[in-house]
Amino acid sequence: MTFEEIHTTYWPKVYRQCIGYMNDPDIAKDLAQETFIKVWQQLPKFRNESSISTWIFRIAVNTCLRQIEKDKKMPKSELPMGLVAEVSVDNEPEVQFLYQCISELPEIDRIIISLELEELKQKEIAEIVGLSESNVRVRIHRIKEKLTKKFQQHDR
Amino acid sequence: MTDNIDFKQYWKSQSIATPDAKELIKKASQFKRNTLFKLIAANVLLLATSIGIGFVWYYFQPDFLSTKIGIILCIVAMVVYLAFYNTLVPLLLKNDIELDSKSQLQQLLALKEKQRFLQSVLLNGYFILLFTGLSLYMYEYVSRMTLPWAIFSYGLVVFWIAINAFYFGPKTLRKQQGRLNKLINQLKDLNEQLTD
Repeated sequence: MTFEEIHTTYWPKVYRQCIGYMNDPDIAKDLAQETFIKVWQQLPKFRNESSISTWIFRIAVNTCLRQIEKDKKMPKSELPMGLVAEVSVDNEPEVQFLYQCISELPEIDRIIISLELEELKQKEIAEIVGLSESNVRVRIHRIKEKLTKKFQQHDR
Repeated sequence: MTDNIDFKQYWKSQSIATPDAKELIKKASQFKRNTLFKLIAANVLLLATSIGIGFVWYYFQPDFLSTKIGIILCIVAMVVYLAFYNTLVPLLLKNDIELDSKSQLQQLLALKEKQRFLQSVLLNGYFILLFTGLSLYMYEYVSRMTLPWAIFSYGLVVFWIAINAFYFGPKTLRKQQGRLNKLINQLKDLNEQLTD
Protein backbone atom coordinates (compact mmCIF):
# COMPACT_ATOMS: atom_id res chain seq x y z
CA MET A 1 0.00 0.00 0.00
CA THR A 2 1.44 3.40 -0.93
CA PHE A 3 1.30 6.34 1.44
CA GLU A 4 -1.27 8.08 -0.74
CA GLU A 5 -3.56 5.05 -0.58
CA ILE A 6 -3.14 4.77 3.17
CA HIS A 7 -3.81 8.46 3.54
CA THR A 8 -7.01 8.35 1.53
CA THR A 9 -8.32 5.22 3.24
CA TYR A 10 -7.39 6.03 6.81
CA TRP A 11 -7.67 9.82 7.10
CA PRO A 12 -11.40 9.77 8.00
CA LYS A 13 -10.89 6.92 10.48
CA VAL A 14 -7.92 8.58 12.15
CA TYR A 15 -9.63 11.95 12.19
CA ARG A 16 -12.70 10.46 13.91
CA GLN A 17 -10.38 8.81 16.42
CA CYS A 18 -8.79 12.17 17.18
CA ILE A 19 -12.01 14.11 17.41
CA GLY A 20 -13.45 11.39 19.63
CA TYR A 21 -10.49 11.97 21.92
CA MET A 22 -10.47 15.78 21.95
CA ASN A 23 -13.87 16.88 20.58
CA ASP A 24 -12.21 19.94 19.04
CA PRO A 25 -11.95 20.08 15.24
CA ASP A 26 -8.73 22.15 15.23
CA ILE A 27 -6.84 19.97 17.68
CA ALA A 28 -8.19 16.83 16.02
CA LYS A 29 -6.93 18.11 12.68
CA ASP A 30 -3.47 18.74 14.14
CA LEU A 31 -3.39 15.32 15.79
CA ALA A 32 -4.48 13.56 12.60
CA GLN A 33 -1.82 15.42 10.61
CA GLU A 34 0.82 14.52 13.15
CA THR A 35 -0.26 10.90 12.97
CA PHE A 36 0.16 10.84 9.21
CA ILE A 37 3.52 12.60 9.39
CA LYS A 38 4.68 9.76 11.66
CA VAL A 39 3.09 7.15 9.40
CA TRP A 40 4.92 8.64 6.45
CA GLN A 41 8.23 8.65 8.32
CA GLN A 42 7.87 5.12 9.67
CA LEU A 43 6.26 3.46 6.66
CA PRO A 44 9.56 2.21 5.15
CA LYS A 45 10.17 0.38 8.44
CA PHE A 46 6.75 -1.25 8.58
CA ARG A 47 7.23 -5.02 8.45
CA ASN A 48 3.77 -6.53 8.44
CA GLU A 49 4.26 -7.91 11.95
CA SER A 50 0.82 -6.57 12.70
CA SER A 51 -1.89 -5.60 10.25
CA ILE A 52 -1.53 -2.14 8.72
CA SER A 53 -4.73 -1.09 10.44
CA THR A 54 -3.45 -2.05 13.92
CA TRP A 55 -0.20 -0.28 13.16
CA ILE A 56 -1.84 2.97 12.07
CA PHE A 57 -4.30 3.03 14.94
CA ARG A 58 -1.48 2.42 17.41
CA ILE A 59 0.31 5.47 16.05
CA ALA A 60 -2.91 7.51 16.12
CA VAL A 61 -3.79 6.50 19.67
CA ASN A 62 -0.28 7.14 20.93
CA THR A 63 -0.23 10.52 19.23
CA CYS A 64 -3.47 11.40 21.03
CA LEU A 65 -2.12 10.18 24.37
CA ARG A 66 1.10 12.11 23.92
CA GLN A 67 -0.92 15.25 23.35
CA ILE A 68 -0.47 15.97 27.07
CA GLU A 69 3.27 16.07 26.55
CA LYS A 70 3.48 19.04 24.28
CA ASP A 71 1.93 22.32 25.05
CA LYS A 72 4.54 23.94 22.87
CA LYS A 73 6.50 21.13 21.28
CA MET A 74 4.81 21.42 17.92
CA PRO A 75 3.24 24.85 17.69
CA LYS A 76 0.34 25.27 15.34
CA SER A 77 2.29 27.71 13.22
CA GLU A 78 4.62 24.90 12.13
CA LEU A 79 1.76 23.04 10.58
CA PRO A 80 0.46 24.10 7.20
CA MET A 81 -2.56 26.29 7.34
CA GLY A 82 -5.59 25.44 5.33
CA LEU A 83 -4.58 21.86 4.66
CA VAL A 84 -8.05 20.81 5.60
CA ALA A 85 -11.03 22.65 4.30
CA GLU A 86 -12.99 23.96 7.26
CA VAL A 87 -15.05 21.20 8.75
CA SER A 88 -18.63 22.20 8.49
CA VAL A 89 -20.48 22.08 11.77
CA ASP A 90 -23.71 20.97 10.18
CA ASN A 91 -23.67 17.63 11.95
CA GLU A 92 -26.93 16.40 13.34
CA PRO A 93 -27.43 17.18 17.02
CA GLU A 94 -27.26 13.47 17.89
CA VAL A 95 -23.86 13.20 16.24
CA GLN A 96 -22.58 16.22 18.11
CA PHE A 97 -24.01 14.90 21.36
CA LEU A 98 -22.33 11.52 20.87
CA TYR A 99 -18.92 13.12 20.35
CA GLN A 100 -19.46 15.36 23.33
CA CYS A 101 -20.38 12.42 25.59
CA ILE A 102 -17.33 10.49 24.46
CA SER A 103 -15.00 13.41 25.16
CA GLU A 104 -16.29 13.49 28.74
CA LEU A 105 -15.11 9.90 29.40
CA PRO A 106 -11.70 9.08 30.94
CA GLU A 107 -8.92 9.13 28.30
CA ILE A 108 -8.51 5.40 27.83
CA ASP A 109 -12.27 4.84 27.64
CA ARG A 110 -12.49 7.48 24.93
CA ILE A 111 -9.93 5.57 22.91
CA ILE A 112 -11.55 2.18 23.43
CA ILE A 113 -15.04 3.30 22.47
CA SER A 114 -13.78 5.23 19.44
CA LEU A 115 -12.01 2.12 18.17
CA GLU A 116 -15.12 0.03 18.83
CA LEU A 117 -17.35 2.46 16.95
CA GLU A 118 -14.84 2.37 14.09
CA GLU A 119 -15.76 -1.35 13.97
CA LEU A 120 -12.38 -2.75 14.90
CA LYS A 121 -12.37 -6.27 16.32
CA GLN A 122 -12.04 -6.45 20.10
CA LYS A 123 -8.89 -8.50 19.65
CA GLU A 124 -7.38 -5.67 17.61
CA ILE A 125 -8.43 -3.05 20.17
CA ALA A 126 -6.75 -5.12 22.88
CA GLU A 127 -3.56 -5.22 20.78
CA ILE A 128 -3.65 -1.46 20.26
CA VAL A 129 -4.09 -0.38 23.86
CA GLY A 130 -2.28 -3.27 25.55
CA LEU A 131 -5.13 -4.65 27.64
CA SER A 132 -6.54 -8.18 27.64
CA GLU A 133 -9.38 -8.98 25.28
CA SER A 134 -11.76 -9.81 28.11
CA ASN A 135 -10.99 -6.52 29.82
CA VAL A 136 -11.68 -4.65 26.59
CA ARG A 137 -15.02 -6.49 26.20
CA VAL A 138 -16.11 -5.57 29.74
CA ARG A 139 -15.08 -1.95 29.28
CA ILE A 140 -16.91 -1.57 25.98
CA HIS A 141 -20.04 -2.93 27.58
CA ARG A 142 -19.80 -0.47 30.48
CA ILE A 143 -19.03 2.51 28.26
CA LYS A 144 -22.00 1.73 26.02
CA GLU A 145 -24.23 1.53 29.06
CA LYS A 146 -22.97 4.93 30.19
CA LEU A 147 -23.55 6.45 26.76
CA THR A 148 -27.04 4.94 26.48
CA LYS A 149 -27.97 6.44 29.83
CA LYS A 150 -26.71 9.86 28.79
CA PHE A 151 -28.68 9.69 25.55
CA GLN A 152 -31.84 8.66 27.37
CA GLN A 153 -31.50 11.52 29.85
CA HIS A 154 -30.76 13.90 27.01
CA ASP A 155 -33.92 12.88 25.16
CA ARG A 156 -36.20 13.50 28.10
CA MET B 1 -36.77 5.48 24.39
CA THR B 2 -34.94 2.49 23.10
CA ASP B 3 -31.97 0.82 24.79
CA ASN B 4 -30.51 0.05 21.42
CA ILE B 5 -29.08 3.30 20.12
CA ASP B 6 -27.06 2.91 16.95
CA PHE B 7 -23.94 4.77 18.07
CA LYS B 8 -21.98 3.47 15.11
CA GLN B 9 -24.27 5.18 12.66
CA TYR B 10 -23.89 8.52 14.48
CA TRP B 11 -20.14 7.99 14.77
CA LYS B 12 -19.72 7.59 11.04
CA SER B 13 -21.86 10.55 10.03
CA GLN B 14 -19.26 12.99 11.35
CA SER B 15 -18.42 15.04 8.27
CA ILE B 16 -14.79 15.01 7.24
CA ALA B 17 -12.67 16.64 4.56
CA THR B 18 -9.53 14.78 3.55
CA PRO B 19 -6.54 17.06 2.91
CA ASP B 20 -3.94 16.73 0.18
CA ALA B 21 -1.27 14.14 0.95
CA LYS B 22 1.47 15.91 -1.00
CA GLU B 23 1.40 19.02 1.21
CA LEU B 24 1.67 16.80 4.25
CA ILE B 25 4.76 15.02 2.94
CA LYS B 26 6.46 18.32 2.16
CA LYS B 27 5.83 19.60 5.67
CA ALA B 28 6.92 16.35 7.27
CA SER B 29 10.37 16.39 5.71
CA GLN B 30 10.89 20.00 6.76
CA PHE B 31 9.98 19.21 10.35
CA LYS B 32 12.44 16.32 10.52
CA ARG B 33 15.27 18.51 9.23
CA ASN B 34 14.60 21.22 11.84
CA THR B 35 14.92 18.86 14.79
CA LEU B 36 18.13 17.41 13.46
CA PHE B 37 19.55 20.87 12.90
CA LYS B 38 19.07 21.90 16.54
CA LEU B 39 20.96 18.84 17.78
CA ILE B 40 23.86 19.46 15.42
CA ALA B 41 23.99 23.18 16.29
CA ALA B 42 24.33 22.51 20.04
CA ASN B 43 27.14 20.04 19.40
CA VAL B 44 29.05 22.27 17.03
CA LEU B 45 28.80 25.27 19.36
CA LEU B 46 30.09 23.56 22.50
CA LEU B 47 32.75 21.56 20.69
CA ALA B 48 34.03 24.70 18.96
CA THR B 49 34.29 26.43 22.35
CA SER B 50 36.20 23.49 23.78
CA ILE B 51 38.60 23.50 20.86
CA GLY B 52 39.02 27.27 21.26
CA ILE B 53 39.97 26.87 24.90
CA GLY B 54 42.31 24.01 24.05
CA PHE B 55 43.95 26.22 21.47
CA VAL B 56 44.76 28.81 24.17
CA TRP B 57 46.73 26.15 26.03
CA TYR B 58 48.65 25.16 22.92
CA TYR B 59 49.34 28.69 21.69
CA PHE B 60 50.05 30.69 24.87
CA GLN B 61 51.77 27.87 26.80
CA PRO B 62 50.56 28.83 30.31
CA ASP B 63 53.15 28.50 33.12
CA PHE B 64 50.87 27.84 36.08
CA LEU B 65 49.42 24.42 36.78
CA SER B 66 46.19 26.13 37.90
CA THR B 67 45.65 27.43 34.35
CA LYS B 68 45.97 23.96 32.88
CA ILE B 69 43.63 22.41 35.47
CA GLY B 70 41.18 25.22 34.80
CA ILE B 71 41.20 24.56 31.08
CA ILE B 72 40.66 20.84 31.66
CA LEU B 73 37.73 21.48 34.02
CA CYS B 74 35.99 23.79 31.55
CA ILE B 75 36.38 21.29 28.74
CA VAL B 76 35.20 18.44 30.97
CA ALA B 77 32.12 20.47 31.95
CA MET B 78 31.16 21.02 28.33
CA VAL B 79 31.93 17.48 27.19
CA VAL B 80 29.95 15.94 30.06
CA TYR B 81 27.03 18.22 29.29
CA LEU B 82 27.15 17.27 25.62
CA ALA B 83 27.48 13.59 26.37
CA PHE B 84 24.32 13.57 28.49
CA TYR B 85 22.46 15.83 26.13
CA ASN B 86 23.29 13.59 23.21
CA THR B 87 22.12 10.42 24.96
CA LEU B 88 18.89 12.05 26.08
CA VAL B 89 17.86 13.69 22.84
CA PRO B 90 17.58 10.55 20.71
CA LEU B 91 15.41 9.06 23.47
CA LEU B 92 13.22 12.12 23.41
CA LEU B 93 12.95 12.07 19.65
CA LYS B 94 12.63 8.32 19.30
CA ASN B 95 9.20 7.41 18.13
CA ASP B 96 8.07 4.41 20.08
CA ILE B 97 4.73 5.12 18.57
CA GLU B 98 4.25 1.61 17.27
CA LEU B 99 4.05 0.03 20.71
CA ASP B 100 0.70 -0.59 22.33
CA SER B 101 -0.46 2.28 24.50
CA LYS B 102 0.31 0.57 27.79
CA SER B 103 3.97 -0.16 27.01
CA GLN B 104 4.36 3.22 25.39
CA LEU B 105 3.06 5.10 28.41
CA GLN B 106 5.22 3.09 30.79
CA GLN B 107 8.29 3.82 28.70
CA LEU B 108 7.42 7.49 28.49
CA LEU B 109 6.98 7.67 32.25
CA ALA B 110 10.38 6.08 32.90
CA LEU B 111 12.02 8.46 30.43
CA LYS B 112 10.44 11.55 31.95
CA GLU B 113 11.51 10.55 35.44
CA LYS B 114 15.05 10.05 34.19
CA GLN B 115 14.92 13.42 32.48
CA ARG B 116 13.76 15.13 35.67
CA PHE B 117 16.67 13.66 37.62
CA LEU B 118 19.25 14.45 34.95
CA GLN B 119 18.17 18.03 34.52
CA SER B 120 18.70 19.03 38.13
CA VAL B 121 21.92 17.07 38.70
CA LEU B 122 23.42 17.94 35.34
CA LEU B 123 22.78 21.66 35.46
CA ASN B 124 24.23 22.07 38.95
CA GLY B 125 27.29 19.99 38.07
CA TYR B 126 27.83 21.99 34.91
CA PHE B 127 27.89 25.32 36.75
CA ILE B 128 30.18 24.08 39.52
CA LEU B 129 32.70 22.67 37.05
CA LEU B 130 32.57 25.74 34.84
CA PHE B 131 33.00 28.19 37.70
CA THR B 132 35.89 26.29 39.29
CA GLY B 133 37.54 25.89 35.92
CA LEU B 134 37.26 29.56 34.98
CA SER B 135 38.52 30.77 38.36
CA LEU B 136 41.59 28.56 38.17
CA TYR B 137 42.21 29.45 34.56
CA MET B 138 42.10 33.19 35.27
CA TYR B 139 44.47 33.07 38.22
CA GLU B 140 47.69 33.16 36.17
CA TYR B 141 46.66 36.22 34.17
CA VAL B 142 45.02 38.04 37.06
CA SER B 143 48.12 37.59 39.25
CA ARG B 144 50.02 39.78 36.77
CA MET B 145 47.47 42.61 37.01
CA THR B 146 47.28 45.40 39.55
CA LEU B 147 44.89 44.77 42.44
CA PRO B 148 41.95 46.91 41.21
CA TRP B 149 42.06 45.24 37.80
CA ALA B 150 42.26 41.81 39.42
CA ILE B 151 39.22 42.50 41.55
CA PHE B 152 37.38 43.89 38.54
CA SER B 153 38.15 40.81 36.42
CA TYR B 154 37.15 38.31 39.07
CA GLY B 155 34.12 40.40 39.94
CA LEU B 156 32.95 40.30 36.35
CA VAL B 157 33.29 36.51 36.09
CA VAL B 158 31.64 35.90 39.45
CA PHE B 159 28.79 38.21 38.48
CA TRP B 160 28.26 36.48 35.15
CA ILE B 161 28.36 32.98 36.59
CA ALA B 162 26.18 33.97 39.55
CA ILE B 163 23.49 35.39 37.28
CA ASN B 164 23.44 32.15 35.33
CA ALA B 165 23.72 29.81 38.29
CA PHE B 166 21.31 31.58 40.63
CA TYR B 167 18.90 33.32 38.31
CA PHE B 168 18.57 31.95 34.76
CA GLY B 169 19.48 28.36 35.64
CA PRO B 170 16.97 27.87 38.49
CA LYS B 171 14.32 29.82 36.59
CA THR B 172 14.57 27.55 33.55
CA LEU B 173 14.86 24.52 35.79
CA ARG B 174 11.76 25.41 37.82
CA LYS B 175 9.76 25.91 34.67
CA GLN B 176 10.91 22.65 33.12
CA GLN B 177 10.53 20.68 36.32
CA GLY B 178 7.07 22.09 36.88
CA ARG B 179 6.04 20.93 33.44
CA LEU B 180 7.70 17.55 33.92
CA ASN B 181 6.03 17.02 37.29
CA LYS B 182 2.63 17.80 35.84
CA LEU B 183 3.29 15.49 32.93
CA ILE B 184 4.52 12.66 35.15
CA ASN B 185 1.35 12.87 37.24
CA GLN B 186 -0.84 12.77 34.14
CA LEU B 187 1.09 9.80 32.80
CA LYS B 188 0.66 7.98 36.10
CA ASP B 189 -3.06 8.61 35.92
CA LEU B 190 -3.22 7.24 32.37
CA ASN B 191 -1.22 4.19 33.41
CA GLU B 192 -3.69 3.52 36.18
CA GLN B 193 -6.52 3.59 33.68
CA LEU B 194 -4.70 0.89 31.76
CA THR B 195 -4.47 -1.78 34.45
CA ASP B 196 -6.16 -5.05 33.60
